[in-house]
Amino acid sequence: MSPLSLALFDILLLVSIVVLAWTALTSADDRRSVILFMAFGLVVALAWARLLAPDVALAEAAIGAGLSGALLLAALRELPSAVPSSGQALRQRATQGTVSVLSAALAGMLAWILTAHFEGPARDELARAVATHLELSGVSNPVTAVLLNFRGYDTLLELAVLLAAVLGILALGPGRAAYRPSGPIFDALARWLTPLLLVTAGYLLWVGAHAPGGAFQAGATLAAAGIVLRLAGSEWIGLPHDGAVLRLVMAAGVGVFLAVGVSLLVLGRPFLGYPPAWAGALILLIESAATLAIAATLVLAFIGGRLPTEADRKGDAVTAPAAGAGANPDPSDNGEPRPC
Amino acid sequence: MSEALIWLVAVPLAGALLALLLPRFAFAVVIATGVATTLAAGLLVYGVGTAGTLHYAIGGWSAGLGIALRADGLSALLVTMSSLVLVAGSVYARSYFHREADQARFWPLWLLLWTALNALLLAGDLFNLYVTLELLGLSAVTLTALGGSAEALRAALRYLMVGLLGSMMFLAGVSLIYAGYGTLDMAMLARTVQAGPLTGTALVLMTGGLLLKSALFPLHFWLPPAHASAPAPVSAVLSALVVKAAFYLVLRLWLDVFAGAVTPAGADLLGLLGAGAVLWGSWRALRAERLKLLAAYSTVAQLGYLFMFFPLLQALPPGAARDLAVGGVILLALTHGFAKAGLFLAIGIIQQRSGHDTIRELDGTAQRLPATTFAIALGGMALVGLPPSGAFLGKWQLLAGAIATGQWLWVAVTVAGSLLAAAYTFRVLGHAFGHQAYPGRPVTIAWEEWPALLLTATASIVLGLAGLPLWRLLEVGT
Amino acid sequence: MLTAQWLYALTGCVVMALGLRTALLHPSLLRRVLAINIMGSGVFMLLVAVAYRGPDLAPDPVPHALVLTGIVVAVSATALALALARRLARERADE
Repeated sequence: MSPLSLALFDILLLVSIVVLAWTALTSADDRRSVILFMAFGLVVALAWARLLAPDVALAEAAIGAGLSGALLLAALRELPSAVPSSGQALRQRATQGTVSVLSAALAGMLAWILTAHFEGPARDELARAVATHLELSGVSNPVTAVLLNFRGYDTLLELAVLLAAVLGILALGPGRAAYRPSGPIFDALARWLTPLLLVTAGYLLWVGAHAPGGAFQAGATLAAAGIVLRLAGSEWIGLPHDGAVLRLVMAAGVGVFLAVGVSLLVLGRPFLGYPPAWAGALILLIESAATLAIAATLVLAFIGGRLPTEADRKGDAVTAPAAGAGANPDPSDNGEPRPC
Repeated sequence: MSEALIWLVAVPLAGALLALLLPRFAFAVVIATGVATTLAAGLLVYGVGTAGTLHYAIGGWSAGLGIALRADGLSALLVTMSSLVLVAGSVYARSYFHREADQARFWPLWLLLWTALNALLLAGDLFNLYVTLELLGLSAVTLTALGGSAEALRAALRYLMVGLLGSMMFLAGVSLIYAGYGTLDMAMLARTVQAGPLTGTALVLMTGGLLLKSALFPLHFWLPPAHASAPAPVSAVLSALVVKAAFYLVLRLWLDVFAGAVTPAGADLLGLLGAGAVLWGSWRALRAERLKLLAAYSTVAQLGYLFMFFPLLQALPPGAARDLAVGGVILLALTHGFAKAGLFLAIGIIQQRSGHDTIRELDGTAQRLPATTFAIALGGMALVGLPPSGAFLGKWQLLAGAIATGQWLWVAVTVAGSLLAAAYTFRVLGHAFGHQAYPGRPVTIAWEEWPALLLTATASIVLGLAGLPLWRLLEVGT
Repeated sequence: MLTAQWLYALTGCVVMALGLRTALLHPSLLRRVLAINIMGSGVFMLLVAVAYRGPDLAPDPVPHALVLTGIVVAVSATALALALARRLARERADE
């Protein structure tokens, strides 16, 4: 691509990003806002791809645009839309003015810094250090190496963040009911799409070691399969009915990672200091557990709460969330969408 | 010895997973985790005291490539405080949550909060700090929401939105730093940071985010509803530890990592906001109708004292006087941590036994719950700053430093704030000692009253008497 | 700083400021959650732009890893915020 056409592409992309962001933020209707937000996310993913960040592009498309958009869409129906207050117009306008000026000042300040204070060669010691140590890391995808090896501690804590969020969501109450059984078109689509998503997830997990991909992208794709099934009417979408097993799956991401780290510590190596010969296998092990945990967590986040148990159905509000709620054999559900 | 650093994070995290998987044994897991973590904290203090600042490179990678943990005297003391407060809170929480279901939800999140606190206090990498801040924020919010009432949910939601805004600003600052310096390691940055527009803007962004999280006036609006409607053990930890963690980060960034980039004007601004916090918080505490709201506003005020130290530290040249001032602010922070935690636990007991925490209707509390009332009195003593509490030494340093540098405003505000604190403490005690006609039961201490008593006793007596060894420990690293 | 870097970083700052403004001002909670997400995307754009080193050199992988972590953290927080809001709306409806 010639430099001129690349520059034109960049300008077009960046203008779309700003326009989409602006319209999503200032639209009068919440629904329109969410849809524009999803479009914004997809265009941003395109920007990541253009900036040679394919791992990030995959994650943004799946999680940032797709999953966040799904969460917002599902929330649209339940949250009251804001009624703009008619009174206090003057004070509101003063606040709006101040905040707008401050935000503009921040953007201006940052723009000035970016323009005027970045002379000289870029600091890339860290990039070079990663490249030098890449062969010791056990994978050949540098982003995976940073995520799972050099800065694996961050990823461990991030999986803990995910766990904390889902535990909070489960503690807040029962989740949304599954949608009604889908019509023939969506049904056919779901039957076709779900296995494809499962295979793609497995592929992304495997290929993450030497090409763009990895646990987060795979987990998000797996969660997408779960969401598609949910939209098609399946209640439990293949999640374990037994509360204890479900908790095991949720905890597995952090658990396997922590177990590997602590085992290495006990064996005399530094925490999360994989021996170079074993690093690839350990990383794959950790990523597999993380994929399952991420998928379960994201899908539970979409469901928005505890899956309905028999006790919930009978109207008993006091049920332990996942504290051994017991099996709930739903006769109509065997993990596949019901035919219409 | 430096492996204690990673054990302090790994043990609570493992405990959280075990508590999640084995809800029947959750309390046993919590106590085991608590004891192990406290032992590790003690080991850390010993290690820092003998060997100086401890470092641990995770994964064995060199600084910059990997993430480093580090502990100096300040971190070691704060980690110890958080371990002791959390153990005490755990013992109390056992009696607070009656239903098995509530306990099953509570313990894993409680231990994740513990993990986040330790990880934050020991972090040596800026982006790692961001992740620990998020973990801390999310677990704190979910614990607040466990209160269940609409009021608690609303407060938790507001807390979450404010926290997210703060974290996002912090991340923006960290991104600027990476763009400008090419590294995220705090030790390396401390050596290479230079004043300039980039560093200044990044510091403003990071500090702004942290000020939101530490509820410095006028960004404190989210704190009173959240701390007042959360379950009592959660309120204790929120006031004593979570907001203190954000303050610790401001201290660390201003005194250590970005020391070359801070300006007197910025320090003065922090001091002024702190003064506002002291006056406004103390005034609102005096006017509060409920005990929990009083304690929450008191937290706002006490944090103001901590921020008033910044202009002093900026104005004092490096030397003995400055070291004493640093010791003062830490001692004040530690005392407030223990005192406020004990106070919230005591209020929880009153709330459970009497069904309410309205101040006007506290008559007979001293008769029915003498130990708890004593705990409140001790806690109040520590908040006012009467000797021999650690707060007395801390405020003394604040006054000494202000007088030495000629900044009389802080003197006036400190005196006024202490008077207001005395007023609201005595108001509570006055009502609590109100006489009820019916004779009370014999004087006993239930086992759930011990944590509150021990915490406030530590604040008001132990910390003051142990001031000197603590001072010496703080000299390591700062 | 390459031109492409500068353009994308600048856009990131603009998007961040826009998101911040709406996150502070808008009455609807859903919109504020959305705005914080957009603000996050702005910060990520800044990071990825800094990582780009031109069409011939491989980009710096560290900011990519940071952004990946940030995306996951943002979705966790979004999910929690929406679940809290939903529960609050239910409590209000029961009142």
